[in-house]
Amino acid sequence: MDHLHRKLRDHEAAMFQQGYLDDQFSQLQKLQDDTSPDFVIEVMTMFFDDSEKLLNNMSRALEQVPVNFKQIDAHAHQQKGSSASVGAARVKNVCGTFRNFCEAQNLEGCVRCLQQLQQEYSLLKNNLKYLFKLQQEIKTAGRSIHTRG
Amino acid sequence: MATKCMHVFDRLLLWFATCWKKNSTLTGRRKFHKDVEKEDFQYSTTQCLSSYYSVFVVRLAIMVMLAILIGLLTILTWHFTKIYTTKSLNSLAYDLRYELLQRPILRMWNILNSTAEITTAQVKLSEYVIRSHGNLATQAEQVEMYESMRAVTWALFASRKALNSITVKYRNGFVQAFHRDLKDNNIFYIYTDLSYHETNSFAAHEDTHSNKSAIWYREQLDPVNGEKIGKAMKIAPEDSISIAGLSQVPDGVASWHVSVGKFTDSPLLSAALPVWDSSNKSIVAVVGVTTALYSVGQLMKELVDKHSGHMYLTSQEGYLLATSTNDPLLTNSTKKPKLKMAVDCDNEVIREGAMWLKKTYENNFPPSHEVHEENARLGHQQYYIDSFFLILKKLPLVGVIIIPRKHIMGQADERAFKTLVILISASLCIIVIGCVCILILTNGVSKEMNLRAELISHLEARRKAEASSNYKSQFLANMSHELRTPMAAVIGLLDILLSDDRLTNEQCATVTQIRKCSTALLHLLNNILDISKVESGKLVLEEAEFDFGRELEGLVDMFSVQCINHNVEIILDLSDDMPKLVRGDSARVVQIFANLINNSIKFTLSGHIILRGWCENPNSYGDSENFTLEQKPFGCSRKTKMKQHENHSKKASNIDNKMILWFEVDDTGCGIDPSKWDSVFESFEQADLSTTRLHGGTGLGLCIVRSLVNKMGGEIKIVKKEGPGTLMRLYMQLTAPVDATEQHCQVDFANNNLMVLLALHGNMSRLITSKWLQKNGVLTMEASEWNGLTQILKELFEAKTSTHNNDFDTHFPAPEGLNSKFISIQELPNPTFVIVVDIDLLDLSTDIWKEQLNFLHKYYARAKFVWLQNHDSSNTVKTELRKKGHILTVNKPLYKAKMIHILEDVIKERNVEVQKKNMKEDDLHESLEIEYTHHCDVASSDGSDISEIGSSNLVTANGEKQREEVVRINPSSLYQKSNCLLGLSNGYMEHKEAFISTRAKGEDSKGGETSRVSGSSKAMNGKKSLEGLRILLAEDTAVIQRVATIMLEKMGATVVAVGDGQQAVDALNGMPGVERNTITSQTEILSFPSYDLILMDCQMPKMDGYEATKEIRKSEIGTSFHIPIVALTAHAMSCDEAKCLEVGMDAYLTKPIDFKLMESTILSLTKRETLTS
Repeated sequence: MDHLHRKLRDHEAAMFQQGYLDDQFSQLQKLQDDTSPDFVIEVMTMFFDDSEKLLNNMSRALEQVPVNFKQIDAHAHQQKGSSASVGAARVKNVCGTFRNFCEAQNLEGCVRCLQQLQQEYSLLKNNLKYLFKLQQEIKTAGRSIHTRG
Repeated sequence: MATKCMHVFDRLLLWFATCWKKNSTLTGRRKFHKDVEKEDFQYSTTQCLSSYYSVFVVRLAIMVMLAILIGLLTILTWHFTKIYTTKSLNSLAYDLRYELLQRPILRMWNILNSTAEITTAQVKLSEYVIRSHGNLATQAEQVEMYESMRAVTWALFASRKALNSITVKYRNGFVQAFHRDLKDNNIFYIYTDLSYHETNSFAAHEDTHSNKSAIWYREQLDPVNGEKIGKAMKIAPEDSISIAGLSQVPDGVASWHVSVGKFTDSPLLSAALPVWDSSNKSIVAVVGVTTALYSVGQLMKELVDKHSGHMYLTSQEGYLLATSTNDPLLTNSTKKPKLKMAVDCDNEVIREGAMWLKKTYENNFPPSHEVHEENARLGHQQYYIDSFFLILKKLPLVGVIIIPRKHIMGQADERAFKTLVILISASLCIIVIGCVCILILTNGVSKEMNLRAELISHLEARRKAEASSNYKSQFLANMSHELRTPMAAVIGLLDILLSDDRLTNEQCATVTQIRKCSTALLHLLNNILDISKVESGKLVLEEAEFDFGRELEGLVDMFSVQCINHNVEIILDLSDDMPKLVRGDSARVVQIFANLINNSIKFTLSGHIILRGWCENPNSYGDSENFTLEQKPFGCSRKTKMKQHENHSKKASNIDNKMILWFEVDDTGCGIDPSKWDSVFESFEQADLSTTRLHGGTGLGLCIVRSLVNKMGGEIKIVKKEGPGTLMRLYMQLTAPVDATEQHCQVDFANNNLMVLLALHGNMSRLITSKWLQKNGVLTMEASEWNGLTQILKELFEAKTSTHNNDFDTHFPAPEGLNSKFISIQELPNPTFVIVVDIDLLDLSTDIWKEQLNFLHKYYARAKFVWLQNHDSSNTVKTELRKKGHILTVNKPLYKAKMIHILEDVIKERNVEVQKKNMKEDDLHESLEIEYTHHCDVASSDGSDISEIGSSNLVTANGEKQREEVVRINPSSLYQKSNCLLGLSNGYMEHKEAFISTRAKGEDSKGGETSRVSGSSKAMNGKKSLEGLRILLAEDTAVIQRVATIMLEKMGATVVAVGDGQQAVDALNGMPGVERNTITSQTEILSFPSYDLILMDCQMPKMDGYEATKEIRKSEIGTSFHIPIVALTAHAMSCDEAKCLEVGMDAYLTKPIDFKLMESTILSLTKRETLTS
């Protein structure tokens, strides 16, 4: 069990360190308590759904001719807002860059940014999935989770 | 040798130099011991030393050169004068000597010649006579021949007077001789016996002397004709003269010799010649002629007489022949006289000369026998000795001339000696004088050089000092500037950091502390910058019009907060004649007073600080005098001061529009020691060094003040005052604008039947205010505590109604003054009572204040209450007051302008009431509107905090102009009002941070406030801070919606989440939208129709946040509701803020949502709700 705990802690610390997550995430974790035990996972699932939808929208919008930058910008803004709210720092940063390209109506930049965004997103998602998996394992082992030692 | 000399010389120089150095050092010390730095001094002395050294060397060199020059000149002069004269003289002397000697020699020569001639002539005549007598056979013939011979010889002899004798000796031995005795000038004829001769003719031929038998006869002759005058006398042959015989001409040639005659004492020159017979085969006779050398001696004597000196003539063997003296030339022996040697001469000089010659040359005479000696020392004198050699046949002669050198060279030598002496003494004199001159000259030069060197070094030192001072000032100015920039950045960044709410409480406190420190540091830097600016003369005062009174009031307001914390009263007391508008540099003026007051506050722990101001012009003297005399015990000191400055002020006031404003800052602090009164104005000077630890500070404040005051043409000094504390008095010259002729806004309250009751805590401010009011014709009464107030109130109102006035008095004996006032009040027709109550009079520690308020409320209808509140007066009290309708509130401190405002408002209100009464039911609301707008104007135009006085509005907003310039919003009941104020405050502070979050206002303002807010939030955390709040959340992003909802719910709020703006508007207006949405957002359905707050995302589909807000605000028009709307935005740019505000939102939060920030924002916007509920 200690092994698992340590693994969880290490993984989480690594994610913070690498900038995938920021304080906002820890705030979310703080909000999670007995009244809403799976709050983080819930929010994150929402975030994932939302993000995938938005990413799809954006990639579709980028394929259109002429490209509707305003719409993409709105998507990016939304993505930025939600990622900021869950503390996905790197995704948020890419969104910021994305919006700049949108404002500049730079198609190539937007495409590149979208790819980057997708990459970041998938990375985050994988990492978080792994994190949640660990948490679940611990939980199933009948232990309460102390996320932050 | 030379190097040695150089060494010695160098030593000497060194020694001299050290001496000089010592000297100079001493004098230098004496001269400059005062303030010259040691380094400079040493520098100068070394320079001096080197200059002394060089001067000394130069001096010496010049002297030596002068000496050499003059010496050379002297020697040359002497040399030339002497050598040339000597040379010429010598040559002349030589000639002279030669000449001198030549003449006796010539004479000698003549003598010789004549002797020779005579001899020859005799010989020839003898030959002729003998030949003519041919054969002498007979005696007669013989006698005849002898007779003729005698005649011939006589003729010859007579013709030559110089001849001593002529002898003829015949072969037969017969002798015929004529002899002239030179002594007695007798002439004798000497002959031998003839017969004898005949017989012994041949024997005699052999030897005359052997012929002893011959008889000698001598006859004296008449010298003229040769006749016999005497008888022939026989004489002995030895008495006869020497007769030349055959022996003297052995070879038949003429011979010469010097002989000595018996009858003369001079040597004789005798010549002998043979007489040959006709056949020339045999000698017939011998003729001898002798001549005395006497004449040569005579000549010599003559010459020597003329020329001095001595001469003599010797034969080669050294026998003296003639001398220039009369000494005998012959040895006087008894026998035959003999010739003397020159060395044996009786004359000393001649003898010595001869001896010298002999000694010098012995016998090795030069070949020519000529000797010329110039410096022969004979005896004690120097002589010229010259000898000449005269070669005669068989008779060589040597002539010697001895002339004393003195005779020829005496004068020259003497002259030369004298010249030398004169020259040497003259040159010595010149050298001495020259040296002295050089000494004096170089002394002057060296002195000048020293002075110059000193001057140069001094100039250098001064230049350096000035430069360094300049550098210092510049450095300070530059550095302060350079430091200020980063400090500003630091403070700005700290502000940003503070506005970030992710900080924990501890961090927040730390950052606040850092910010405070930074502000202090910046303040310090500003001070330094000011000082250096003033010092470097770069400070230029602005010339702009400003309201003096208002600036000071603002200042006093600002400091009042600090004072109240310190329990110190701060009072502003400006006389009425102060001009309203003046021209000057308002910032600097404020700085002056800020520094002074700050200083006073620092050192005043209790009591009061009074800032007095009055204008100095002749008219105001009387007023202010009375005023102060009544008012203060130390008013008289001011009066005298004024008199002192009267002249000055007269002068100053003559200048157009220039006026002199006098100020006093009077505190009751620890005071300053009189000895430090002047020095405290120096930079970095503090009266008591120990205070630095206690109070901090750099000691720059007063220095800046003085600099600024001086710059404004004024002065500042500390004045003696009675009692503890410090009294600083200053004046400054400011220009009054030309157009502002009516500067004093005198309000005439006298005819308004006003009666003011001052119930104030602070004695001083009460006193001053009441004095001022009385001066303006307003009746005043004073109370310093609650009991006093109640007493007066009772007396005022109840006494008025009840007739038992006296009873009351017995119960509450009022002071005499009060009674008279009551009487005068009762005389007032329809008086208006204004009661100014200090909120501190209420007992706030317990709940008694409510009762006290109720007590006062009884009089509400009959008097106007004005409440003086502190900046930190609790809201409960304020709310309570407002509830009861006491809307006239003023912030402390109370000063003239505020009082005027109060009174004006009271009067106005009274008039309105009167009007109202007249017009019965008028629209109250309208009039209130008017009042309100009027007041808004006042507040905004004032820029200070005369806030909310007299208007019947329900809101009191206290914009406290504090250092941080943060406006604290007093949450009040109506949203409309607060909105307006937000706009107002926005106008106040022009930096955008003001609106970043409303929370910032609460927390930035002051530490105390911060702690209170956080404390309250903490306290509420226990029971959930937002308990009971209903919040509408409009957010389209599901994630954010979820997160925000959870957050809010954690805080205890009830959340209704909607997906877009339209739904939000619907939710607010009716419920259908909400119901629809609650299902999706899984929140509980709310039965409450209204919300306390809306969180509005800006970017939403269908209707965005801005639109929704506009919609909501639009619907609110006409109602009294104002629902706080907080924007949620991902933009953090100012344009977004502006947009948010523009559409009517109250605050905004940036995404990601910060837990604490959101909490505090919501709290600040809804707090009043909780309070009132």
